[in-house]
Amino acid sequence: MEINTSLIINQIIFGLALGAVYILMACGLTIIFGLLDVVNFAHGTFYMLGAFATYIIVSLFGNFWLGLAFAIIVVGLIGWITESYLVKPLYGKDPLYPLMLTFGFSVAVIDLMRAIFGTVGKIVPLPPIFSGSLIWGEIFIPKYRLFIILLTIAILILLWLFFKKTNLGMIIRAATRDSLMVRALGIDVPRIWTFGFSLGVGLAGLAGGVNSTIQSALPDMGVEMTIECFVVVVIGGLGSLGGAILGGLIVGQVVSFVSLLASDWSNVAIFITMFVILLVRTRGLFGEAGRL
Amino acid sequence: MKKFCLISILLLMATFATSGISLAKPIAAFLFPLSGPFSAMGTDMKKGSELAIEDVNAAGGVLGKKAEVVMGDDEFKAAVAIRKFKEMVDGMGVRAIGGTLSGGIAVAVNEWACKNKVVYMSFCHSSIPIGKEQCGYGFVSGMIPYQTGVATAKYAFKNLGKSWMIVTQDYRFGHDELAAWMVISERMGGKFLGNIYSPLGQTDYSAHIPRIAATNPDILVINVYGQSMDALIKQLGEAGLTNKKMKFVIPKSHLYTIKAAGAYYNENFFGGHTFYWTLQEKYPKAKKFVEAYEKKYGEVPSQDSDGGYVGTRALLEAMNKAGTTTDVDKIIKTLKGFKMDYNKGPEEFRACDHIRMTSVIILQGIGAKASGRNFGKVVAEIPVEETLESCENNKNDIPFGKVKLPGK
Repeated sequence: MEINTSLIINQIIFGLALGAVYILMACGLTIIFGLLDVVNFAHGTFYMLGAFATYIIVSLFGNFWLGLAFAIIVVGLIGWITESYLVKPLYGKDPLYPLMLTFGFSVAVIDLMRAIFGTVGKIVPLPPIFSGSLIWGEIFIPKYRLFIILLTIAILILLWLFFKKTNLGMIIRAATRDSLMVRALGIDVPRIWTFGFSLGVGLAGLAGGVNSTIQSALPDMGVEMTIECFVVVVIGGLGSLGGAILGGLIVGQVVSFVSLLASDWSNVAIFITMFVILLVRTRGLFGEAGRL
Repeated sequence: MKKFCLISILLLMATFATSGISLAKPIAAFLFPLSGPFSAMGTDMKKGSELAIEDVNAAGGVLGKKAEVVMGDDEFKAAVAIRKFKEMVDGMGVRAIGGTLSGGIAVAVNEWACKNKVVYMSFCHSSIPIGKEQCGYGFVSGMIPYQTGVATAKYAFKNLGKSWMIVTQDYRFGHDELAAWMVISERMGGKFLGNIYSPLGQTDYSAHIPRIAATNPDILVINVYGQSMDALIKQLGEAGLTNKKMKFVIPKSHLYTIKAAGAYYNENFFGGHTFYWTLQEKYPKAKKFVEAYEKKYGEVPSQDSDGGYVGTRALLEAMNKAGTTTDVDKIIKTLKGFKMDYNKGPEEFRACDHIRMTSVIILQGIGAKASGRNFGKVVAEIPVEETLESCENNKNDIPFGKVKLPGK
């Protein structure tokens, strides 16, 4: 195989698109962990629900954009209910409890989806506007991959504006650092937690909706994604949004280039990367320092 | 207390009634991957198997009794399959087991069956008849993986081009298919341009797309199965590669994949199948199978449905012929060279290595025109004589076992 500049550029672009989905997922996980100290093992399940939400809307109305919006809203609402009725009663108890709860929730929902939708992948067709690639000589960028990258950038800008410029965003940031103090100021912190959880899983739902056109919607599609997402977050440093972004970019490029050079190592490579980074920085790249 | 006991008994009876569990003693135990990446295919296999049991029972059952077979989910894990088979064999006393849908799991179960002296009918593509795996207790109602490799490679090098690249699922089935393609490539003047190993269960191939596009082979062999195959085809389509001159050959394709890939699975795609419903035009008995299957399940049978049907029916009819459901030696003796005429005309289980002697169909995609029961166009049927090695070769695992696989 001849490795030339065009091939390297193509790999970088595909790595960026891969990383973009990891970033969406990891940002959601980070918001939940940073705010609630809950390790959400059901994050991949919300990703899967996002894919199915998109599938349902696209099947009914044929509108992909509506499908994506529906994925965020519906998954966010499911997150709202889940946090309010399942996770909230466990606050203040051993951190293992919410971890076990989200794990159990994940298993139950996957089985439920399997019973409802079966085990055959559900197709979400690519919108015609995104079919094909942009081509410059030997360099090609599939239009949809470019869309994923741009969408992720837009979401990150919106998140930044939300956390830095809005009252609610600033309250959330304050609550991640000292929720008692925020509560003492008369703010309804439990409601802030519920909102944070919904926002986090809503991002996972969006990632699922985005990926539903690349992979078919399947009940167990989130299992592997949960693991990869945790690797991204651990690399970046638990609770750090900047870390989640950097972690996503690193994992995307590692998967892309290891796939090119030694494909059978692509799954293991991200774990090796994580071990190496943890050996050098035990809290991950941005651990603690860069919390929300 | 009496009331409590009565309610408990009633609940227990209701549970049995609704779960389909029978109190009669089962004569065989089958497992399928009803969860995991091959679950859609596993479900087809189970459907085929259930239909075969119905047909056998309609014809008088086994030894004058209604055949009872216990079925379950192997979760696509060899350890789970072996644990469950052990429970069924030790706890229920069955001496015949069947099913599973993975070359790797089939080999592991076969080894266990040999040690425990039970008959094992593998419904999938598996290498049980090859080399050291050939222990005498295993039979295959699918085929040996290399056969679909040989069939599709022969068709491809003759009709589609010479340069080829392959994406290989990194386990036994994928390795066997890859070896077959390398052997046939050398024989027919193919030009091998590279292999990409894919871990089992992989569903994102985007990082491989640039390399495939840069290599630009005449033929890309999609040697992955289940959800991985669906995802790879969608991602090739999304990158715009399926509408160019590149041809895509899938040694073992599936109707679900054609459905899942939609318009991407166009006339550039050629897939190997051991069964396709239009065979009913060629084999009259296939018509009965297709009609009964469609009536019961509302869809046409796939090759996995056929594998489940043939394996189950042959095993139960062999028990009838042998006059026993528990004497393993007698059942094996009957199955050796067992002749049948079910779905593809007269076939048999070859006596020397226990493989079902059956053909491979090459189905060309039709893209967006695929709908209902119409999934593609049969462009060739490669007879078993062109794909199956001799008993001696299979025993010694040649020529495919001697191939040095790239990167291994």
